[in-house]
Amino acid sequence: MLSGRAPPGVGDCCRRLLAATLRPLLCGLPPCWVTARRAAGQWPSPGLRVPEAAEAERLVQEVQRTGAPLRRFIACPQLARTVQRCLQGRASTGPQPVLLEFAPGPGILTRTLLNAGVRVVALESNSAFLPNLQSLENSLDGQLKVIYCDFFRLDPLVNGTLKPPAMSSDKLFETVGVAAVPWRADVPVKIFGILPQKKERNILWRLLFALYECSSIYRYGRVELNIFISEKEYKVLTAKPGEARSYQALTVLWQVGCEIQLLHMEPWSSFVTNLKNRGLAVPKSVWLPNDHLCLVRLTPQQNLFTGGLKPTNSATFIFMVKQCLAKPKSRLTDRLNSWSLDNGGKLLRELEIPKNAKTRNLYPEDYRRLFEALQNSNMFADAWFHDEVLGSIRNINL
Amino acid sequence: MALLRLRAALLGPARLRGAGISWSVLRNYSSASAKEKAGRNAVCERTELLEVLKARVKQLQASNVPEVTVNKVELAPLGNGKYEDPLQKVVAPSPTEEQPAPKGRDEGPAQPSSWVEKLKKEMYIRQLKVERKLSIAASQQALEGQAKAKAKTKAKTKAKTKTKAKAKTKAKAKAKPKSKVKAKAKAKESQESQKSPKAKVAAAWRQSPSLYRVYAHGKPRVAAAKEGAKVQITHRVPEDKDSSQFKILQQTIQANLECFLFLQQPEEAERFLLLYHSSPAKRRLLNVNAYNIVMRSWARKGRLQHINRLLSMLESVGLRPNLDSYAAVLECMGRNQSSTKTIWRCVQQLKNDGFHVDELFQKCLFEEDEKEKVLRAIRIVQPNYQLPPPPNPEICKSSLLQDFYSKEKMVSYPKLDFSVQELQECFQQQLEMELDNTVTIESVESSKPLTPQAIKARKLLATLRSQWHDSILRALQKSKHSMSKLKTVSGYNILYPYLCLLPDEEYVSIMLQILNTLSPQGESLAVLARELGSKVYNRYITQRKLRSRQLEKVQHVYEDYIHLLAKNSQPDEYLPREYWEKLVAEAGFGPSLNLKDCGWPYMLLMRLGMHMLELLVQAVKVPRNILNPRLESKLIPVLYHIYSFRSSWQVGLIKPHPIFSQLVSDAAETLLTFNSSAIPMLCPPVPWTSPHFGAFVLNDTKLMRFVDGAIQHQLLLEQCPPVNLHPVLDALNQLGNCAWKINQPVLDIIISIFNDKGNEKLDIPPPISEAPRPSAAPSNSSTWTKSQKHELLLCKKKAAEMHSLRMDALYKLSIANYVRDKVFWFPHNMDFRGRTYPCPPYFNHLGNDVTRAILLFAEGRPLGPKGLDWLKIHLINLTGLKKKNALQERLEYANEIMEEILDSADHPLTGRKWWMNTDEPWQALACCMEIAKASRSPDPAAYISHFPVHQDGSCNGLQHYAALGRDLIGAISVNLMPCSIPQDVYSAVAQQVEEFRKKDAEQGVKIAQVLQGFVSRKVVKQTVMTVVYGVTRYGGRLQMEKRLKEIDEFPEEYLWEASHYLVKQVFNSIKEMFSATRDIQHWLTESAKLIAQSGRTVEWVTPLGLPIVQPYYRSRSTVLNCSMQHLSVKNSNSSQKPDTVKQKNAFPPNFIHSLDSTHMMLTALHCLRQGLTFVSVHDCYWTHALTVDIMNQICRQQFVALHSEKILQDLSEFMLEKYCSPSRETRALWQKKLMEQLSSVPKTGEFNLKKVMDSTYFFS
Repeated sequence: MLSGRAPPGVGDCCRRLLAATLRPLLCGLPPCWVTARRAAGQWPSPGLRVPEAAEAERLVQEVQRTGAPLRRFIACPQLARTVQRCLQGRASTGPQPVLLEFAPGPGILTRTLLNAGVRVVALESNSAFLPNLQSLENSLDGQLKVIYCDFFRLDPLVNGTLKPPAMSSDKLFETVGVAAVPWRADVPVKIFGILPQKKERNILWRLLFALYECSSIYRYGRVELNIFISEKEYKVLTAKPGEARSYQALTVLWQVGCEIQLLHMEPWSSFVTNLKNRGLAVPKSVWLPNDHLCLVRLTPQQNLFTGGLKPTNSATFIFMVKQCLAKPKSRLTDRLNSWSLDNGGKLLRELEIPKNAKTRNLYPEDYRRLFEALQNSNMFADAWFHDEVLGSIRNINL
Repeated sequence: MALLRLRAALLGPARLRGAGISWSVLRNYSSASAKEKAGRNAVCERTELLEVLKARVKQLQASNVPEVTVNKVELAPLGNGKYEDPLQKVVAPSPTEEQPAPKGRDEGPAQPSSWVEKLKKEMYIRQLKVERKLSIAASQQALEGQAKAKAKTKAKTKAKTKTKAKAKTKAKAKAKPKSKVKAKAKAKESQESQKSPKAKVAAAWRQSPSLYRVYAHGKPRVAAAKEGAKVQITHRVPEDKDSSQFKILQQTIQANLECFLFLQQPEEAERFLLLYHSSPAKRRLLNVNAYNIVMRSWARKGRLQHINRLLSMLESVGLRPNLDSYAAVLECMGRNQSSTKTIWRCVQQLKNDGFHVDELFQKCLFEEDEKEKVLRAIRIVQPNYQLPPPPNPEICKSSLLQDFYSKEKMVSYPKLDFSVQELQECFQQQLEMELDNTVTIESVESSKPLTPQAIKARKLLATLRSQWHDSILRALQKSKHSMSKLKTVSGYNILYPYLCLLPDEEYVSIMLQILNTLSPQGESLAVLARELGSKVYNRYITQRKLRSRQLEKVQHVYEDYIHLLAKNSQPDEYLPREYWEKLVAEAGFGPSLNLKDCGWPYMLLMRLGMHMLELLVQAVKVPRNILNPRLESKLIPVLYHIYSFRSSWQVGLIKPHPIFSQLVSDAAETLLTFNSSAIPMLCPPVPWTSPHFGAFVLNDTKLMRFVDGAIQHQLLLEQCPPVNLHPVLDALNQLGNCAWKINQPVLDIIISIFNDKGNEKLDIPPPISEAPRPSAAPSNSSTWTKSQKHELLLCKKKAAEMHSLRMDALYKLSIANYVRDKVFWFPHNMDFRGRTYPCPPYFNHLGNDVTRAILLFAEGRPLGPKGLDWLKIHLINLTGLKKKNALQERLEYANEIMEEILDSADHPLTGRKWWMNTDEPWQALACCMEIAKASRSPDPAAYISHFPVHQDGSCNGLQHYAALGRDLIGAISVNLMPCSIPQDVYSAVAQQVEEFRKKDAEQGVKIAQVLQGFVSRKVVKQTVMTVVYGVTRYGGRLQMEKRLKEIDEFPEEYLWEASHYLVKQVFNSIKEMFSATRDIQHWLTESAKLIAQSGRTVEWVTPLGLPIVQPYYRSRSTVLNCSMQHLSVKNSNSSQKPDTVKQKNAFPPNFIHSLDSTHMMLTALHCLRQGLTFVSVHDCYWTHALTVDIMNQICRQQFVALHSEKILQDLSEFMLEKYCSPSRETRALWQKKLMEQLSSVPKTGEFNLKKVMDSTYFFS
């Protein structure tokens, strides 16, 4: 299958060799071996020096500008190595997809990844961090690409010309050199980053919509997300049916859409923030534990669109799940009835869902089956339901 | 002596408890000590016996059950009577129903359960209280001793009863504990057999009050009253600290009791009261008023012994009867013709409590025949008793209104062009309309021809409606039935009584009404629930007004009142309010035209609304195949409940099914149903005489509008001495008494455009059929592209907007059309700053250009020598042209274009349409027509004109600031200084900004150079205008950015920087020009900040004496658990902390608004004295063309008079006293700071205020 990555050209190779001679750290490997590994997506370690935690922290603080949104960075080399191992974990054989790292900041992880031979594209939105990254890019030979881009302002919904760091995913993927692959193909691109906690939920929802619509980054195939999210949000994503506080619409939709793997948990204190007072700014959580940031891998399900669910009707599915779980203690039949989908009783019997099941007790897979059954029975044809779906998308997306 | 001994006996356990030994320990301990036990038991027994006796008597009275059976029934529970709350037993109308199941706790309770303990404790505390009071009384007696012979004999009789009681208890105390109960029962039985029921009633009446009569007696009246007040205050302090929940609960209880009173179910009321009374935790929610309501409901039935028991209950929780309690007792006595002796005793007691009989008739709000009954009771003991004379009317002493209120200069009130007879008929019409609650009128669309499709749809809808009516009715009755079954003590359904207040049909019609007005886009659950709830409330209030004979009285007074206004009656030198008050006094109604406070808490309203909404959603169904017969027939709900998600919020919505919306739109029904309060009044409004009374005849109207749940204004108004409100009330009456009529030719033109295709440019919203449609989309929605979806969404959004605009216009025009041949009135009320508003919400003179254009004064006046000129100047003002020209030039311009004006008037839609290109086209057209008519009349000066001419303040907020600060430059720029041409403050500021910019540009500031040629009046206008109303730099920058964006040539990349720079310069310019203004604004802001930070809300009093409080609190939301959805209801309550930011930022603009409203009211009142017609739209004053000059003069005079007062000084003094009164011991740092801040009133400039008198363009 296509790896979706432009292979480095021959001329490129020569220049790289030249560079290698200039850099004594990078000695000892015969060129042909290097090319072979590069073809497999594994680059030789450039042997970059990874700054110590204190230095990284100083870097972050220097860049600090008033009004900049709160961000979190990996500063400790140890943590960077852990993350790097997690990211590479099972990828020993076969060609490795390119790794998009968003908001690298001082670039501690970036260097660690480069040293591990990973090809990285760094998306940095703060222009103050750019010079540092760009000089790193220039010192390497195509293993790192730095793009002035805000991952969270990818494909904004407003129309009009995009001003950097906002960007369209088309342009981003074109720059990176990744082509779209069919849904069932392998992961074309890996993405790593730390979600800003203030917008965490929003981003998760937006990603979810993109996933179900196969739009934005998911237009290019099953993009694998490796993201640090707060523990409470992780608990929500992986909640089980019936769990009072954590089983939400977000849970169902992510579990249907993706395979969710926990790669690593790290206490909040291991990360550096760009706050002046160097505080940690840990978001409060009343009901759920929230002592860590969790590195989660979200790999879209290969069979997501094999059944009745299609990118074109998925909005209805999302709408249905949201409506059901808006009041998780209500009974499913009541919900169905209130939408005039009133031979719901028969449907539930066919699906072997108990008549008095509460909406929060249904498994994510049940929701999917329910939707597909409804889709088949043509019950969503009623115009009003469709209108609502449209309306609700607008409301969520804005 | 006996008393003393009793006291000694009682003191024992009291001391023990004081030492902090828990009751159970005490129990063991006391059982060891025979003496103590005996003492305690004695008291216990005594009270218990009394209770039991009373209960017995009550039962005998209440039920017609033969005595023997009653005995049997009662004997069983008596067995464990010791541990029962005696009160609970007392209440039970029929013991079988209410007695809790026997719990087998009678024999030797070794391990008493906790509630038993509690009960005992309660009893104990109560006894302590009784004891304390007894002791006080005893000492009092000892002191007063032989002072009065009468008192002595009384004391003796009391002592006798005491000893009697004691003897009984002693006897029992001697008996062994186990047999005690039996003994008691026996004692009772024997008593019963001895006495006839009648005698017992008498005995009970003698005994029960003796409980409290003993201690009450002899206390100095004043002291007693004071102490009572104190007790209440100390009670209130901790309660106030409690959450707002507490107040809401208290209000809910009272509302509930009022319901039972209304429903005439005293048993239910009492049962409900007892739910709270019998639980010590809930009991603190009760206050005297709660007990009073129950007493009143018994009084209405003439059940004295019930009232007695309530009185003793009241007593037992440490509350004192107030005037209303006595009114209830006396009413009851008057009703059942009690003996002289009983009444006499009651009256004595009333006096002992520090009240006076006259007060009953001066302060109590009587309903129905209560007053007559009380009077009857009083006359039994004092046959010659005369009602107290009404208090002499007070005269407002405000220095601003000395002339206005002086008796010497009194003139008769201007007459309307109606005879008494005609006004009487108008009143009847209005009354009938309000009695119906709703008015159904033909919409202006009814003139369109009917299509066959519409006829079919209407028929269909009619059948469906009748089906829905039946199914809603069934659902309502079913839910009521299941609620009524649920009457257990714990699960009392709080909503049930509210669903009984009106006939079922009324509820159904309310619900159907909501269904009919639901827009296709749906409506949020909360809004619908509130609407339903308040509709029920309004109808209930109407019913109460009918029932309480309040309406009858109002009708009576109104009949006489119209003599003040009618042309064929004698002139009377009264103001409407004064005249009304005089008539009320003459009729002897006292304060009883007011209803007793009967507000429903917001939460309750919502809960009721939600319940009805749930019924509606469940009950209303439609066959699915009604529009498409091919589908299988199945009933589906018409309304569905879905959630809409707004970022992290989820909002519940109720939406109609498209089938229903389709049907409604097909039917194109032309009937509109409004609340009667949405229609202008058809007779002169009832004058405001108090914060609770005025405006509509029946519809409940508040003097001061407020947001849901905010009650602090109302409280403040109530506390305010009535005389202080007189100027404000009189001003509102004056505004409301202006009669209006419709400008029919203009209305007809507007309706013709409206019924055609509308016209967005002329502000006539087009019908939905004109809405944009998406370019043909593929039928299968799943294949739509993103842009197609987007387009569809935009179309939908636009259609929704158009729908609401169209409906708004439809309502306005239809109401106007409904009253087109009538004369009508807009009753007024005000917001919390004193700004006045007409009450009818849709159609009024505050509306847009369209609505203003169709209004005319009903009263006509000749134009006079200058009237035509004023009309022309007015027209030019409306066009927005010639703003910078002198009046003379405007007039000349009007004469120049006379041809255009006449053409517009003669051929509005077919001519050259000059009028259409003006700022306010419809008013301009109306004015053109008036000018044409006047100029063509043989003698324009004699032409009778009904046309209102407006005079606008130029940047009124800044005018007040400039006058407050005596800012010379500022005063010139807002036309406080006489000047040959009007000054334009916006241009002046733009000029100043330009100067600053030039300087900066010369110094090489980049952005100043970029902005060259872009600083204009238009750019700065909005910011200057809003500076007065507290716009911040942030908001100002956004405004600037918007303006700059509109300029195409402006380089986009500099937008942020430029707007930032400009807003800074605008603020600097204003600071430069209005040097004192910014100081004042700053001073107000800082003061408000410190006050809010000290935890209090900012309050002040306008120069006219209106008290104002800023109602901004940190809101807290309460979750209402309803079965359909949990509703989060925000409530801002006075028990919450003030919202510092809002308090601070809003104070300067609110203060200025309170000043402009004061200026308006002063102008209104003085115009009244000069016989002018006057109305206002905030800072735009309207009058006849003839009287424009006089109005202008008054307006200037009053402005000078207002600002000649030491406004800021007075404010500072008021706040110092309010927030830093020396009585507070805490001299914290913040208080010092606050004091310094409040006392440092900003200095003023040297502008001579008198100059305003000669300034032509001050208001123009």
